[in-house]
Amino acid sequence: MVETKKIAIVVSEGTFDKGMMSMMIANTAASMGMEVHIFHTFFGLNLLKKSKSPKLAGMFRLFTGSFVKKMKKIGVDNYSEQMKMALDLGVNIYACNTTLALLGVKKEDMYDGVKILGAAGFLDIAVDADSTMFIG
Amino acid sequence: MLKDETLDARGLMCPMPIVKLSKKIKELPVGKVLELIADDVGSKEDVPAWAKRTGNKLEEMNEEGGAFYFYIRKVQ
Repeated sequence: MVETKKIAIVVSEGTFDKGMMSMMIANTAASMGMEVHIFHTFFGLNLLKKSKSPKLAGMFRLFTGSFVKKMKKIGVDNYSEQMKMALDLGVNIYACNTTLALLGVKKEDMYDGVKILGAAGFLDIAVDADSTMFIG
Repeated sequence: MLKDETLDARGLMCPMPIVKLSKKIKELPVGKVLELIADDVGSKEDVPAWAKRTGNKLEEMNEEGGAFYFYIRKVQ
């Protein structure tokens, strides 16, 4: 049996590119049999709202649609599909509890299966991880 | 190489071939061989890395007409 590797990711920005990056890494890692934990903090929390699809940053936000279309063409699913896939593959998706209060986001606004976690809880996971990544 | 099933991932870019490969291998009984066809150049490194990490065996890899053919035996 291959030893299970553990990955901890922090996402602190809510733009399309950051969201896609975290999802692509997470879904690949989960497909490789790794245990994945993603902690969404500050604007990263916006990536967990099920009613909102993320946009590119700044003036590039206008090009988000054509980006999504291009990705579809090369066989990459859009953000919400990737998020559902991640939850399906058993990726642990966390929302920072302080940011929830700060941004006024409710649990029911987020994708089903998102867990709420504090910094200490995440650090407890991160110190035992084989790799920690910061996307922000 | 003899194969039991084929997964055609041509036209798909990273990470989709790996995601689909992982799903497909789960459906296969242990000992069976899956043929994966991909044309994403990244798969040349990605598939061996996936096999190493998941403990499955990459029996053979060929390149033909701009596509990669992988033969993966399910070990676990």
